[in-house]
Amino acid sequence: MTEAFLHLVALTKRYGNRAAVDRASLFVAEGEVVALIGPSGCGKTTTLRLIAGLEKPDEGEIWIGGECVATNGRNLIPSHKRGIGFVFQDLALWPHLTAEGNLDFVLASAGMKRRERRERIVETLRMMRAEGFAGRYPSQLSGGEQQRVAIARALIARPRLLLLDEPMSNLDAPLRGQLLEELKSLQDRLKITTVYITHDRAEAEPLAARVVQMEAGRIVCG
Amino acid sequence: MVMKSGMSYFSVSHFSVLSLAVSLFILLCALPAIYMLGLSFTSADGHLSFENYRRLLVEARQRELLRTSALLGAGAAMLATLVGAPLGLLLARARFRGKRWWRLALVIPLVVPPYVLALAWTWLDITSELTYSLTGAIIVLGVSFYPLAMLATEAAARRVDAGLEEAALLVAAPRRVFAKITLPLVAPAVAAAALVIFTLAISEFGVPGLLRINVFTTEVFTAFAALYDFGAATALSVPLLLATIITALAARLIIGERMLTTRRSSRIGLSLTLGKWQTPMVALLLTIIALCVLLPIGVIAREAGGLRLIASSLSNSRAAVINSFALAGAGATLVVMLAALVGYARARMRARWSGLVDLALITLFAVPGTVVGIGLIGLWNHADWRGEIYASPLIIVIAYLARFAPVAALLLAASVRQIPVSFEEAAVVAGASWPRRFGRIVLPQMFTGLSAAWVVAFIFAIGEIGATALVAPPGESTLPVRVYTLIANTPASNLAALSLAQVIIVFLPLALFALFVRQSGGEK
Repeated sequence: MTEAFLHLVALTKRYGNRAAVDRASLFVAEGEVVALIGPSGCGKTTTLRLIAGLEKPDEGEIWIGGECVATNGRNLIPSHKRGIGFVFQDLALWPHLTAEGNLDFVLASAGMKRRERRERIVETLRMMRAEGFAGRYPSQLSGGEQQRVAIARALIARPRLLLLDEPMSNLDAPLRGQLLEELKSLQDRLKITTVYITHDRAEAEPLAARVVQMEAGRIVCG
Repeated sequence: MVMKSGMSYFSVSHFSVLSLAVSLFILLCALPAIYMLGLSFTSADGHLSFENYRRLLVEARQRELLRTSALLGAGAAMLATLVGAPLGLLLARARFRGKRWWRLALVIPLVVPPYVLALAWTWLDITSELTYSLTGAIIVLGVSFYPLAMLATEAAARRVDAGLEEAALLVAAPRRVFAKITLPLVAPAVAAAALVIFTLAISEFGVPGLLRINVFTTEVFTAFAALYDFGAATALSVPLLLATIITALAARLIIGERMLTTRRSSRIGLSLTLGKWQTPMVALLLTIIALCVLLPIGVIAREAGGLRLIASSLSNSRAAVINSFALAGAGATLVVMLAALVGYARARMRARWSGLVDLALITLFAVPGTVVGIGLIGLWNHADWRGEIYASPLIIVIAYLARFAPVAALLLAASVRQIPVSFEEAAVVAGASWPRRFGRIVLPQMFTGLSAAWVVAFIFAIGEIGATALVAPPGESTLPVRVYTLIANTPASNLAALSLAQVIIVFLPLALFALFVRQSGGEK
């Protein structure tokens, strides 16, 4: 059996009496792309936020790259030290920073020198075909352009694990198709372990090697 | 005016009610300021003239007044922001017990009229050089207005989308996220609040008047009330009007549409963990409350002497106390009625120039009381039906409307924006007329906003002194005006008793509102 890169062990998160994530276990091999699908409110986003360290699990464990990062009510490793790239559903581009500034913040936070940052930003923006709007603020970008910047920001620090929370939900169908193709080709090239959330199986299948179904907080198949 | 929906639910009643409200608003609230602005371009013989502006630039006296007013405004804004902004961040982001009570205690200086704080300041046992100085006035106004900076910062920090901070927390340590993401996102609101405080400080009349600081507002009052020089009073109003417009424009540019939204992020992205700083923070909060709340109220209570003295002072000024209560109550009620309609009209506007309406509302709110007072005298003191109104207490209510309906309209526009247009559209589909939609769908959902606007208008009205001192008819005095006129020849104990009464009157509606909000399901 392939060694797990991401391993969720009986993960539980409750809000009051309601379990948003209920003893969910998941095994993702290194370089594998897993799509987590399910209806609204089934716990997909909470699962992703637990993996990212934005929430604390009430029970269970999260292992990333062979290291336990959270267990039974405690985050052992803070979010910014987990090596995660995250594309949020609403993209969460910082409005007071340009596209380039959004990327630079990530690298500067990692302590990278200015010249290296510059090179990395140019390279990443080119990879995402976003170099044309590096100096623009998020409010000056179209939906598709914002999407490219958000993905570039998630990838720029070369994360070990990429988490995508319904990143295409706000795009129209043609643009979604185009970006999914680009994401697939990027993934083929970079081989980053990825968890992709969507409620649309048709969107998930071309991208993911495996589709995992969630219902009422539980992982029911996959 | 274009409604936000594609659906047409324009009706005659809708149009006529809103038009009437907007016309009344312009007539009562905007006209005094417009009249004063027009007068500033007029010579003594009634011709177009820039003489007032020329004098402003060349006269040394005017330049000195400008310098003192600017220093007072800048100093008060700086002090209020330095104290208030960190408190706002703490309230929004730190986790500590009894936050609601801390907030309530810290906000008290805002509801105590500034002139009451100034009186307490004069009764502190400090040197008279400091008491009656620009520094003294800056300290008093800084204490009066820091809660504004605090509340604005707290609201802005709560409005920051949690997702933006979470996205940063994935790549940076919390301290860096706070410095590079949270603070820049909160900064515009802090800057706008500082500008508003600057304008309120240069518009203040009671504090510089009591502490004998010559600024434009006190000079306007002297020129009119002591020297009966209407032309000079008008000319002195010019720089205040200009400063008000410029500051309002700057505030509008900085915060844009956000002044009409009160949306809170549903969760907090970045919490401040106090850890070992918990005790120093509590000590800091206690120190601020001790200095800004307990000390002034304690000093006033000390000066007021025993209960018997207080009762006797209140008995001597019973008419002023009753007048204050009745006029502020009536004023606040009319302010809310008018502002609800104007706020509704503003919130549902989609015209390109709607931003100008906000600008006008902020500007009108910031027009100093003394300027409004002289504008009202010019408009209403005539030997016809207007004179009847001018000679009655109604003119004080009109002064309250002119001063406080604009800010109430801004508050209520924010309240209306929280109500989805689709709620009204559903009522249209159901066949409800506009009055029915407004009365049964919109107003009930604005209830908390209406109550808050009433409390704000009441508190402002009962402490109003700049306009009231000028327009109050003979024999009709309010508590602040009576205190102001008694200062020269009345023992401190008498003034202190009246000030204490003022504080208690202000707290009554505030406590009732707090109780109401608590019972109706928490903070809104």
